[in-house]
Amino acid sequence: MNSFLSAFFTGTAQGAIYALVSLGLVLVWRGAGVVNFAQMGQAMFTTYIASQLIQHNYSYWSAFVIALISGAILGAIVDLGLMRPLTSRKNSQLLNSQSMRTTIPVIASLGILGVLKALAGILWAGEERGFPSPVAANAIKIGNTSLAITGFDLFVIGVVFVTLVLTTIFFTRTGMGLAMRASALNPEVTRLSGIRVGSVRTLGWAISGTASSLAGLLVTPKTNLSPNTLDLLLIVGFTAAVVGGLSSLAGSVLGGFVVGYVISFVNVYSAPENVFIAILVFLLLALFIRPQGILGNKEVRRV
Amino acid sequence: MSKVKTHKSIGARSTQLSIIFFLFIFLLSMQFGPYNQSQLANISTLLIAVLSITLLTGASGQISLGQGAIMAVGGYGSALLVTRLGLSMWLAFILAIFISALFGLFLGLAAARLSGPYLAGTTLVMALAIPSIAIRFESFFSGDIGLSVDYGYPPNWLTNLIGEISIEEWSLYVALPFAALALFAVLNLSNTRSGRTWRAVRDNEVAAALTGINIARTKVIVFICASALAGLAGAIYGFRGLVAPSVYSTDLSLTLLTAAVIGGLRSIGGAIFGTFVIVFLPDLIEKLTKNLAIPESIGSYLPALVIGLLLLLTVILNPRGSAGALEHIRHARHRRSH
Repeated sequence: MNSFLSAFFTGTAQGAIYALVSLGLVLVWRGAGVVNFAQMGQAMFTTYIASQLIQHNYSYWSAFVIALISGAILGAIVDLGLMRPLTSRKNSQLLNSQSMRTTIPVIASLGILGVLKALAGILWAGEERGFPSPVAANAIKIGNTSLAITGFDLFVIGVVFVTLVLTTIFFTRTGMGLAMRASALNPEVTRLSGIRVGSVRTLGWAISGTASSLAGLLVTPKTNLSPNTLDLLLIVGFTAAVVGGLSSLAGSVLGGFVVGYVISFVNVYSAPENVFIAILVFLLLALFIRPQGILGNKEVRRV
Repeated sequence: MSKVKTHKSIGARSTQLSIIFFLFIFLLSMQFGPYNQSQLANISTLLIAVLSITLLTGASGQISLGQGAIMAVGGYGSALLVTRLGLSMWLAFILAIFISALFGLFLGLAAARLSGPYLAGTTLVMALAIPSIAIRFESFFSGDIGLSVDYGYPPNWLTNLIGEISIEEWSLYVALPFAALALFAVLNLSNTRSGRTWRAVRDNEVAAALTGINIARTKVIVFICASALAGLAGAIYGFRGLVAPSVYSTDLSLTLLTAAVIGGLRSIGGAIFGTFVIVFLPDLIEKLTKNLAIPESIGSYLPALVIGLLLLLTVILNPRGSAGALEHIRHARHRRSH
């Protein structure tokens, strides 16, 4: 198997996971104007819940579903308990200043990240543990030649594909999805047309929590699970979201795959030590050449 | 603030406050044993980095999650100057300020185009990428192992003057003067014209631009000043023993931000208070857990939990931090007395 195809397949499988993370970030950014730096902390927490359930002899799939549901609940809690009161308080002197209105939610999300990590450490001890995958991670063989893609990679790509199709149907064919798009575009007008913008926003947080918790379940069989494992995923997901366009759902998915290929090709043709620098360079290039992202909307961001 | 402060009175006041800070820490160290003396040295060092956030986020409204990476630039810069070129530590510290200021110039040029979450995310990526350069160019930066550097021995004239000096005391005597100088610089900067310009940009960019302020240039200048401070802090921090990627982790960047927020982003006194909290609170919690016989597995994560909760509570209840809370109480009393 040549190295190009191998990098391509790995890039696709990794890119699929990055697409989920980036989708989660963009959902919250469009709905609430917050980049949720705690997102992968939430995912780490729900993956631990799944891991605990599996250790107590629950089946993989029931743990899988419960993790997704708790991801949604955790997302909603973060919005209702913290972000909504924070962004709705206009009378605070600090939040009167333009720059602080965007800065304070970032700091708050970092606080959540810290608390979730510490809680996971206290509840489930800090040492790394494995996380099972429902499919064997052996390379797939056709005849005698083994392909560079494993059964698990195919599983990841399949799950993400189904998720993306469902998300697309949700946003284009259902009333709730349309309401979410409307309130992201213009909250004031949406509120006037009788849609509860607040609840729609909380739903966005919940869906984002589910997407990232799915990403956590799909990535940990390869990376193992510890309170810090998923930090890297957030950074890659953020880069993907910026590359694709923070304001565009389709862009975020595209960005995920683009970054997946970049990382995978750097890994194969260069050296793994170069990955972080490659991400930084790629992010800066994206910000300077096309700050609104590949599919982003220009007016959303002033430069 | 009804009285207009003149330049002279600002300079005098900054000098006074810095000297008070210097004497306070110095006298405090005399009451302490070796361990807490080295903790005071840590406070002096980290305070310089926290002050850089007070400038950057508090005064000019730009957020950085990557101050630890800039500290790494200062740390590696000074450590290489000492180990490769054989410069003296003091000269290396001064040069580290210039190296990181230059780095801040480039960073600022990039950052002036970014705002809010874009800046936060980019600096977070930077926090990870910069230390990994040390691993990438292993032969030059000696990779994960890092460069061993230390404060050396106190000079003879000082030991002749005040007698025997322990390692812990010496580390404090190295860090404390720099901390006092940084305090002086930040007090001066934020109370004079440049500080007012920064606050104008922070609160309303359009209004600031209309008064003739060059927004992009202002942002770059703040980044240069903040990076110079963070680089100096990083140099002193590294000379505790080791300059390596693990010393300047992302956690360090976030801890510094936490200190600035808990104390109050806009207050210099808050920066001092916040630095005390992040350095001494873990010790305090450890003492408590030992007495209460809490298992070690929980005890090791407890400080992070408490500090995280403290950060959340600060943001929810009073985003201006403990300094803001103090001011609030003072105002309330003032109103009652009238």
